[in-house]
Amino acid sequence: MTTSEGELSTRQTADPKNWTNRLRGWLEGLVPKGEALPDRQPVYVASWIYVFGVLTLTSLVVVIASGFVLSLGGVSWWHVSSLGHYVNSVHLWSTELFFGFMVVHLWGKFWMAAWRGKRALTWITGILLFGISIGTSFTGFLSQSNFDSQWIGAEGKDGINSIGVGAFFNVLNPGQMLLWHVVLLPLGVGLITLWHIILVRRHGVVPPLDADLEG
Amino acid sequence: MSGLSIVMEGPGNYINWGVIQISVANLAIIAVMVLLFILALVVPFPSHDEDSDEEGHSR
Repeated sequence: MTTSEGELSTRQTADPKNWTNRLRGWLEGLVPKGEALPDRQPVYVASWIYVFGVLTLTSLVVVIASGFVLSLGGVSWWHVSSLGHYVNSVHLWSTELFFGFMVVHLWGKFWMAAWRGKRALTWITGILLFGISIGTSFTGFLSQSNFDSQWIGAEGKDGINSIGVGAFFNVLNPGQMLLWHVVLLPLGVGLITLWHIILVRRHGVVPPLDADLEG
Repeated sequence: MSGLSIVMEGPGNYINWGVIQISVANLAIIAVMVLLFILALVVPFPSHDEDSDEEGHSR
């Protein structure tokens, strides 16, 4: 059977056993149509407290971008270069803002009980992100390659050993801590952030308590 | 040099209240964050009422 140029076989695209079809169907069903990047929101979203999620996300973008630049120069670059020092400071202060915005976002969502309306998984992924982000920043402190990182490593090893994971997660090993900081933990933060955002877009922004119409 | 400057800095000011011990710097940051939270709740958000549709959505 021959087909003309640009013509698609409907028989193949409808096959439910085809992995590509199933993957496409799953991707298309992640977010309701038109909700991936909506340009309109319910009127109750017009409040500054709803801005802090996006501020957190924006800070994370700056954190990751400055981290990419730092990885070009290596861990000791910021000690010997004014440009490296500047990029390191951007990385530090965007992280400070990231945590500040995230905690205000957390307070806002806690006091409006944002797990209502089948949003429990959105809340859980947010808490997971908070925990993994703390771990990521901790390994960042250990990757400064200065006396500060040595001090933090020496102080932190007892805590890590006391919970029984020191043999696998050695805070006195700067190479291991650097790789956790730049590969494993950011990958976790990135993937769970994506999951968190998809869940927000799927279920919509949680309404204020006094505007709850969902029972 | 920044590592050396950290060593040469003083221990910082701490507030002791029973079992609670916190540096003035950390307490100040927490106070600013609480203030930011309160402001986010009470400061009116710039609205565009003319953009609202009949279903209560706005840009």
